[in-house]
Amino acid sequence: MSENSSKKAIFEREFSIVATLVVGAGALLLSFPLFFEEAVGEIDWITIPMVAFPILASIILLALASQQPRGMKENMAFPVKAASLGFSLFILAISSALFFGWLGSIDWTTLKINEYNMNHEYTWINSLGISWHVGLDGLSFPMLWLTTLIIPITMITTWEENSGWYHHPLLLLMEGALIGVFVALDLFMFYVFWELTLIPMFFLILKWGGKDRRYAAQKFFLYTFTASVIMLLGIVTLYFLQDPSQYLIDRGVLTGRTFSMIDMTNNAQMAANDGSVWLGESMQNALFLMLMLGFLVKLPAVPFHTWLPDAHVQAPTSGSMVLAGVMLKMGAYGMFRLPLTLFPHALAEYQYLLLAIGMISLVYGSIVCLGQTNLKRMVAYSSVSHMGIVILGIASMQPLGFAGAIFMMFAHGIISPMLFSVCGSFKHHYHTLEIGSTRGLAKASPFLGGYMMFSWMASLGLPLLAGFVAEITVLVAVWMTFGWWVLLPALVLVITAGYYLWSMQRTIFEGSGDVVLPEGMAAEDARDLSPWENIGNLLMALLIVLFGVLPWIIWDMMSAYANAHFYFNMGGLLNLVAGGA
Amino acid sequence: MIDPSWVAGLGVFLFCIGLWGAFTRKNAIIVLMSIELILNAVNLNFIAGAAQHGDATGWVYTAFAIAIAAAEVAIGLAIFLAMYSQHETISLDEVKLLKH
Amino acid sequence: MEASELAILIPVLPILAMPVILFLGQLFNGNAKWKGFWKEGGTIATAVMAIVFLLSLWLIVGHVSAFSEGNGDDVVTDVGNWVSYQLFTEHGDMKVQELGFGMQLDHVSVMLLFVASFLCLLICIFSLGYMNTDEVNENRNHRFYGEFVLFCAGMFGMVLADNFLWLFIFWEIMGLCSYLLIGFYYERPSASYAAKKAFLTTRVGDIFLFVGLLIMHAEFGSWDFAVVFNAANIGAADAGLIKAMLLLMFIGAVGKSAQFPLHVWLPDAMEGPTPVSALIHAATMVNAGLYLVARMFPFFAAPAMAGELGDVALLIAMIGGITAFMAAAIAFVQKDIKKVLAYSTMSQLAYIFTGLGAALWFVNNGHDELAFFAFGASMFHLFNHAMAKGMLFMASGSVIHEMHHAHHHLEQSEDGHDEDDDHHFDAQDMDNMGGLASRMPITAIAMAAGSASIIGIPLIGGFWSKEGIVGSAWKAVMYDGGGLFIIPAILVLLTAGMTGFYMSRMWFMTFAGKPKTEVAANVEETTPFIPIPLVTLTFMTLGGILFAGLNFAGWLGENSTHLSLSHAPSHLWHEITHAFLALGSDGQMDPFILIITWTTILLSMVIGPFYAMSLYGGKLAKGQKAHWSIAWIITLSGRIHSTYKFDNSIWAESGLSTALRNRLYFDQWYDSLMLKIVVPFSYAAAWFDRRIIDGVIKGIETGSQEASRNIRSLTTGSARDYIMMAALGTLALFLLIWGVA
Repeated sequence: MSENSSKKAIFEREFSIVATLVVGAGALLLSFPLFFEEAVGEIDWITIPMVAFPILASIILLALASQQPRGMKENMAFPVKAASLGFSLFILAISSALFFGWLGSIDWTTLKINEYNMNHEYTWINSLGISWHVGLDGLSFPMLWLTTLIIPITMITTWEENSGWYHHPLLLLMEGALIGVFVALDLFMFYVFWELTLIPMFFLILKWGGKDRRYAAQKFFLYTFTASVIMLLGIVTLYFLQDPSQYLIDRGVLTGRTFSMIDMTNNAQMAANDGSVWLGESMQNALFLMLMLGFLVKLPAVPFHTWLPDAHVQAPTSGSMVLAGVMLKMGAYGMFRLPLTLFPHALAEYQYLLLAIGMISLVYGSIVCLGQTNLKRMVAYSSVSHMGIVILGIASMQPLGFAGAIFMMFAHGIISPMLFSVCGSFKHHYHTLEIGSTRGLAKASPFLGGYMMFSWMASLGLPLLAGFVAEITVLVAVWMTFGWWVLLPALVLVITAGYYLWSMQRTIFEGSGDVVLPEGMAAEDARDLSPWENIGNLLMALLIVLFGVLPWIIWDMMSAYANAHFYFNMGGLLNLVAGGA
Repeated sequence: MIDPSWVAGLGVFLFCIGLWGAFTRKNAIIVLMSIELILNAVNLNFIAGAAQHGDATGWVYTAFAIAIAAAEVAIGLAIFLAMYSQHETISLDEVKLLKH
Repeated sequence: MEASELAILIPVLPILAMPVILFLGQLFNGNAKWKGFWKEGGTIATAVMAIVFLLSLWLIVGHVSAFSEGNGDDVVTDVGNWVSYQLFTEHGDMKVQELGFGMQLDHVSVMLLFVASFLCLLICIFSLGYMNTDEVNENRNHRFYGEFVLFCAGMFGMVLADNFLWLFIFWEIMGLCSYLLIGFYYERPSASYAAKKAFLTTRVGDIFLFVGLLIMHAEFGSWDFAVVFNAANIGAADAGLIKAMLLLMFIGAVGKSAQFPLHVWLPDAMEGPTPVSALIHAATMVNAGLYLVARMFPFFAAPAMAGELGDVALLIAMIGGITAFMAAAIAFVQKDIKKVLAYSTMSQLAYIFTGLGAALWFVNNGHDELAFFAFGASMFHLFNHAMAKGMLFMASGSVIHEMHHAHHHLEQSEDGHDEDDDHHFDAQDMDNMGGLASRMPITAIAMAAGSASIIGIPLIGGFWSKEGIVGSAWKAVMYDGGGLFIIPAILVLLTAGMTGFYMSRMWFMTFAGKPKTEVAANVEETTPFIPIPLVTLTFMTLGGILFAGLNFAGWLGENSTHLSLSHAPSHLWHEITHAFLALGSDGQMDPFILIITWTTILLSMVIGPFYAMSLYGGKLAKGQKAHWSIAWIITLSGRIHSTYKFDNSIWAESGLSTALRNRLYFDQWYDSLMLKIVVPFSYAAAWFDRRIIDGVIKGIETGSQEASRNIRSLTTGSARDYIMMAALGTLALFLLIWGVA
């Protein structure tokens, strides 16, 4: 009795600490403008509030919770989870404020190429030309917004995960690292955050994963890490190939070269305007391939995709949601940011290679989906298939295709977390992921069935849900560039419908009269979604509908980015496009 | 003033002694001392170079090296103490902790 | 306020109603008041449908009267921009494209809007009676009503859209709702299977439509009707690609309207809640394909395409003819009352395709007058068929519902306990019915009127339009290059007779003769709400003559700009002479068409029903009296049945009959294509992925582990060995540098 009350006292003390922390952090963030003399719109809302803050906060929360004696850690779960969720909501508020212009009007649709909103630069490692440089444009902002939307939703959906005191701060850490990737305008910084994202994900899979989590976590880490090392090699080569005699803003004192993406883009642009090929044709091709390899593995594209199903099947719900929702988008984002911007000539050179990779990912991925017996594995392969559409959009070399590909990233970013959250709940409540081991679950778990139906439909590209806009725009571009090749992606639309409907028929439907449960499960154990899972799924469903019905909310800036990109690359590219069509 | 090449020569001599000691002795303390000898030999080389070129960089590096060597000795001795308390010996032939 | 400003509410209101109904349904599930007054959401759905119907009427009346006054124009309302983007043109500059949503109202869409909103309202009222009195549906009717209103929204949106993109979007929404509604009883494996089948089959058609739309976008840079239908734009486009585009779009229509060879889903769609989902699949949604083909008219009419697209038109007519004949033949042997109606739907839709094919062929070959006539007749048939088939399905639903109740009642009184043994008794099997005419007068009369309209009994609804379609098909044969139209023309002519047989067969098996089971003898027509739509639609169907008099067909064919009440008598006279004496507008009689006309009438009105009467007719049981309006038919059928005995056992036991019962094996073929080829192939692909692609990765993994195990033997653990190695390594490095230098 006394032990309980002392526990309670300690708990209350800890709770008050965390509550103070949340309120303090919120007050700090809200009073952020007071620290600056500039107008609200000119303050750097990214570096401290969106990158440093979540990373530091997660470390503090982890430290705070892990200092507790063994029995007390679970007591810390609620305050730590609440703090993590609160922090991520603050960040969501800031990113939304940036979009809606509550922090001074920001125009997202008139940016030219290599122009960024919230562009802030700080000296970091001066001698090598490395700086802390952040900025947002029509490509990175949707990704940033996606991250800030998905992380709190993931936290809500997986609220009841074990060891929440450890789990939720990891998600917060993930958020900081992901935002770092999307806002970085310096290659060094980009790479640092790129690898930083692996760490929380590794631990998420390792600690909360399924039976083979060790294997999956290692495979995930090593596979993507190997690819990013090749990418790093490309980055370093790119660094040393720069001509120090060229005009550079962030010149390294010692090396005379720079990691600044803005400088590199400038130089590439100038070369393109002169009609010459920046860094020379063969070097551009080699660098393009090196960088693309890193990004294609992350995306992932066939044949570099096999880490994804393993990672997803073993990963916990939260890991899968963030992995599919945001981490895969890093690959596509990197493609747009680096190889496509810097090496337009190589893009034209390898257009048909990309077409082949995209088509194979799309068609092969969907056929493999049809042959899966594990629900999560099937959804993982559907991600591979959908990412093929992104590659197709790039290969089309049309502004519409680019915009469609970016929209696909965003749409898939809100649809796939819902797919995985449904799979996760399925596993959580029915202890299996085998398709066909259950029947008629729509009766026992109507909400689970409903959300499964909704997310499946969203993923197969039903109109007025987010995925459709992306599919139709990319396919229009594919037709304009490649003509009848578009029949293959169109065929995939049928296969996609096939595997989704078939899997639903064999899990939540049928079972006339009685629900068929997995072996060894008692009928009274068949439960529906918990309130937390319900809220999370509902939020994602609302987002999917919102961006499906009103795509222009986010489409306009993507389209503007794609257009600016093409104005920039007009000179050399146009002839190639006209020739290819 | 002594010709810097003499200093460098002394450095080479000390280096060889140190290397020989590190290869042949069993006692960990003596191996540590040999390594210190090697470090000092390198320091002498730095000094010789600095004197030769009239450049202060060599002096600075030497200062760094001495500081780091001191820290290293402290850590090394601490490791040997821990080793002794675990294995009751500091003979390098009997301790194979580094395997695998 | 203009009606067109509120037109956006027509699709939007039901869309908004859907989540409301679902949410409230989930919240108040099981609540007594929710079940009582709110009818588990039915009240909300009905209210929304009523508002939408009134709005539509307002819109339609405005449109019609504007045209009558001579200052009418197609109403186009631009609602807003959806997405905009830029495209490269061939000259290397960028042009801005916009995909907006707007609404367009012309004669065809006005007609379809009326059909859709009117029937949706009636179905909704019908469901209040049908769905809410069935225990199977208890506590989940809100799901039905939610999906139902979304479905209606899809239909309204598709009809109103002013561009092909939004037409496609709403088209797909209807596909989704069709999936949801067919799978309403998801716990039944057959329903789950049928839902999947319907979605996938129509999806196959949809992707062709989708690719067609991509071509359209590439050729016209837009999906707007205003741009796409512009004759100058059509002239500027590539004729070959236009042809490909039309073919692809037609495949989409084939899927949606359940035509050969994508027809397999429609009969199975009867797994949905009887008969409401069935009605959707008969009266409204399947018209989407027809609407799409009707929308292709401007392409065929464009001067640039003159004579180019004859093959496409012929193909449309051909598919129509084949489906009409095939479906009618399959309908011969069906025992399930809803299945008969499903095949009848396929067959009648095929008629409309044939008529549209003829219209498109005429206009493409410069026979504008004939084209407008055929087009008007087809659209009029769409209208007549929707009204009649809607009623027939609701009537069949009424029969099934009451049969079910009677069965339930009997079971309870006999055994003293409520036992659910639907497996032993099929309430939809016509072999269990018979003699219902006296027990269910309203239903029997409604069904008689609907069947008459479908058969094409002179002066009733479908007669006016069917004659026009058959006549147009035969006329096409007579012109240069239309020789191949002989095939669909003969097929639709034969089908007319077959329709007479199978519709009569259905009616007589259900309503005439003596009850074949005890259940049928105890049926009572008591369910509330059900008679309202039946009576309304009976008048609508019998009023076909009124629409014919108003020159509705001519108005739909756009060769008359107004519906005129004052000229109705004289116009009706013209129609009658045209229909029965084949008098053209110039007063000349066309003897060939006259023969065709009377052959059709003879086949459909005399031979078909006569044969059906002789096989299935019969007097009612003693003491049972039918309503006077149908009593004479039953008496006649009884007399024929006892006088003329045909021995049809040769047919009934032949291989052809078995094949028809198995729906000509199409389903088996498609299923085995899926199960024997596609699925094994996908399993093989999954194996390939796991063993080969991932196998290579695993090989690298195990290979490097092996290598590291070998290298590990170098680590002895002795510190001095390490020092030695470091020294040797350094020495080697020095030597290397020295050598290079």
